[in-house]
Amino acid sequence: MFSTSSQRKFWTFSDETELASHREKHNLEFIAKHGHHIEEYQRYNFFLSPEEERLLLKQYELHLKEFCKRFMPPMPKGVVGTAFHYFKRFYLYNSTMDYHPKEILATCVYLACKVEEFNVSINQFVANIKGDREKASDIILNNELLLMQQLNYHLTIHNPFRPVEGFLIDIKTRCSLANPERLRGGIDEFLEKVFLTDGCLLYAPSQIALAAVLHAASKEQENLDSYVTDMLFHDAGSDKLATLIEAVRKIRSMVKMVESPARERVRVIEKKLDRCRNQENNPDSEIYKRRMREALDEDDMLQTGSGRMSLDTSGITQVLSPSAS
Amino acid sequence: MDDQACPRCKTTKYRNPSLKLMVNICGHALCESCVDLLFLKGSGSCPECNVPLRRSNFRVQLFEDSMVEKEIDIRKRVLKDFNKKEEDFATLREYNDYLEEIETIIFNLVNNIDIVGTNKRIEQYKKDNKEVIMKNKAKIGREEFELEEILEIEKQMEELRRAEILKMEEEAKKQKIREKEALIDELMFAEGDAKDILNTFAQTVANKQEDIVPVLPKVTQFSTGVKFTRGSGQQPVPVIEEGPLYRYEPPESPDRCGPDPPSIEEICNNGYLQHVRAENETEKAAGYSSTLPCLRALQDALSGLYHAS
Repeated sequence: MFSTSSQRKFWTFSDETELASHREKHNLEFIAKHGHHIEEYQRYNFFLSPEEERLLLKQYELHLKEFCKRFMPPMPKGVVGTAFHYFKRFYLYNSTMDYHPKEILATCVYLACKVEEFNVSINQFVANIKGDREKASDIILNNELLLMQQLNYHLTIHNPFRPVEGFLIDIKTRCSLANPERLRGGIDEFLEKVFLTDGCLLYAPSQIALAAVLHAASKEQENLDSYVTDMLFHDAGSDKLATLIEAVRKIRSMVKMVESPARERVRVIEKKLDRCRNQENNPDSEIYKRRMREALDEDDMLQTGSGRMSLDTSGITQVLSPSAS
Repeated sequence: MDDQACPRCKTTKYRNPSLKLMVNICGHALCESCVDLLFLKGSGSCPECNVPLRRSNFRVQLFEDSMVEKEIDIRKRVLKDFNKKEEDFATLREYNDYLEEIETIIFNLVNNIDIVGTNKRIEQYKKDNKEVIMKNKAKIGREEFELEEILEIEKQMEELRRAEILKMEEEAKKQKIREKEALIDELMFAEGDAKDILNTFAQTVANKQEDIVPVLPKVTQFSTGVKFTRGSGQQPVPVIEEGPLYRYEPPESPDRCGPDPPSIEEICNNGYLQHVRAENETEKAAGYSSTLPCLRALQDALSGLYHAS
C-alpha cells in the first residue's frame, strides 16, 4: 500500500522547489569536482547548467516513452511507469554529466522489466536497441547495480494504473455514470503525459489516478465532482478535500504544460555534454576501458587463487575406517 | 524356511513337516532322525567335517544360517572365560581393546582361521587370569541368584493378591445371600406393601454397591519387581510451568491515508464483483477468487488520497 511504502517515505517530495534544489546541488557538486581548472564565471560555458540538464532529461523521457512503446514483445504499462520512476529518481541525486542519460535509460527499463516480472532476457532486450548490441548489453549490466544502489534498493513502485482500475470499479458500482469504460482513452492519454512531468515525485498514485479519471470525465462532458465530494470524501474533513482538489488541479496543470523541448537546443546541449561528461563513466573513453581491463585482471587473479586452493584438498590422505583393515 | 533340508538324508520341510534340524558345535546341520541314527552310541563324527561330536551337544537350529548357530555356540564358550567387566579395566581404551580381542578370537574360530593359535591364546588367557575369571563367575552367579530371589518374591506377591481377591469374592457372595434372606424374611413377616419393600431393598443394594470401591494396595514397584525408588540415577520428571494461553489479536491495520475501502463482505454483497472479470473454472480450482484483486484495486485507489505534501 502506498501509505506505508518507501515511495511515500523517501521519494514523494513536498514541492517542485525541493526537486529543483536536489538537482542543482548535484549539478554543482559535479562541477566542483571536475571543474577546478576552469574559472568560476566560465564554468557554464563548458558544463551544463541545471536548466540545460532539465531540458536534456525531458528529451530523454520522451525517448524513454518511445522506446517502451516500440519495445517487442509489447510491455505492460506498469513496466513503463516503473521505468519512468527509476529514471526520475536516479537523476534527482545524480548529474547527467556523470552518467549519460541514454545509458541509464536502457538500464532503468531493463530493471523495471525485472521488478515488474515482465520476463525478457538481456539478449531479447538489446534486440530492441539500435547499434552495437553487445556493447549495449555490457553497459546495461554494468550499470544495473549502480542504478539499484542509487535507488537505495527501493525497487517497489506504486503506479497509478491499479488505482485507476479501482476507481473505475467503484464508479461502476456506486455511480450512475453511463458507460464509464469510455473514459479509458482519456485516462491513458493523461497518464502517459503525467510521466513526462514531475507529478509522480510529488503526489500519491491514487491522486494522480483520480486526476486522470476526472480529466477524462470532463473531456467527455461528464461531471464526477459529486462522486468525489459525496462518496469518497463524505466522512473526511473539508481540509482533506481541499488538499485533494489542490493536488488534482496541480497535476492537471502540470500535464497541460507538457511540451517537448526544442530540437535545436537539445542538439547543442548534447554536443556540450559529449565534451564535459565524466570520461570515467564513458564506455568509449580510454580511461573507462583501462579501468574495466584492470577490474577483469583482478577477477582473473582471484580466480586463479581460488583454483590453487581447491587443488590443495587432493593432498589430504584418505581416512580409513578401522574395519577396512 | 520351506527349502530347509537335511544335508545327509535330503529330507525337506515340504516332505516332512515335522522335520527338525539340529546343529552341533561345528555348525553343520542334521535332521533329528539322522542324529538318532548316527549318534546311537552317544558320540560320533560330523558327516561333513569329521569333527568328533557328542550327541548331548545337539540342539534345535534356531536360525536359518547354521553359521550363526555355530557362532553363538563359540561365543557362549569364549565368553564363559572372557568374563571381565568394564570395572576391571583402568581406562575405556583398555576395555575396548579387550572387547576387540574377544571379537577377533570368535571370528577366527567361526571362520577356521588359525584355530590352533587362537586356542593357544585362549588357554594362555585362562592361565593368566584364573583368579579374575573365578571371581567374575562367582559374581555372575550371585547376580543370577539375586534375580531369582526377586522373581520368587514377585511370585509370592502374586499369590497373596490372588488369595485376597478370592476372599473378597467369597465375602460378596455371602453378603448377597444374606441380603436375599433378609428380603424374604421381611416379605414374609412385615405388614407393608410388598412393592415398597422390594423398592427399599433394591435401593440399599444399589447404595452398597457404590460404597464398595475396591481398595487397591499402593503399588511400590514395577510388575517386574523392581522397586520404584531403586534407580538412584532417575530424576523426577520436571514439571513444565505453563504460561498464559495464546490469544489471537488481529494485526493493527496500517494508516491508509485515505477513505476506508469496503470490506470483503461489502464487496461480495454490494455488487462490486459485477464489474470485475470473474474467475474461470481453472482459476477457481487453483484457489483464485476475484474478490481479493478487486479489493486490492479499491485499496490502491483509496490509499494515499489524503496525502498532503
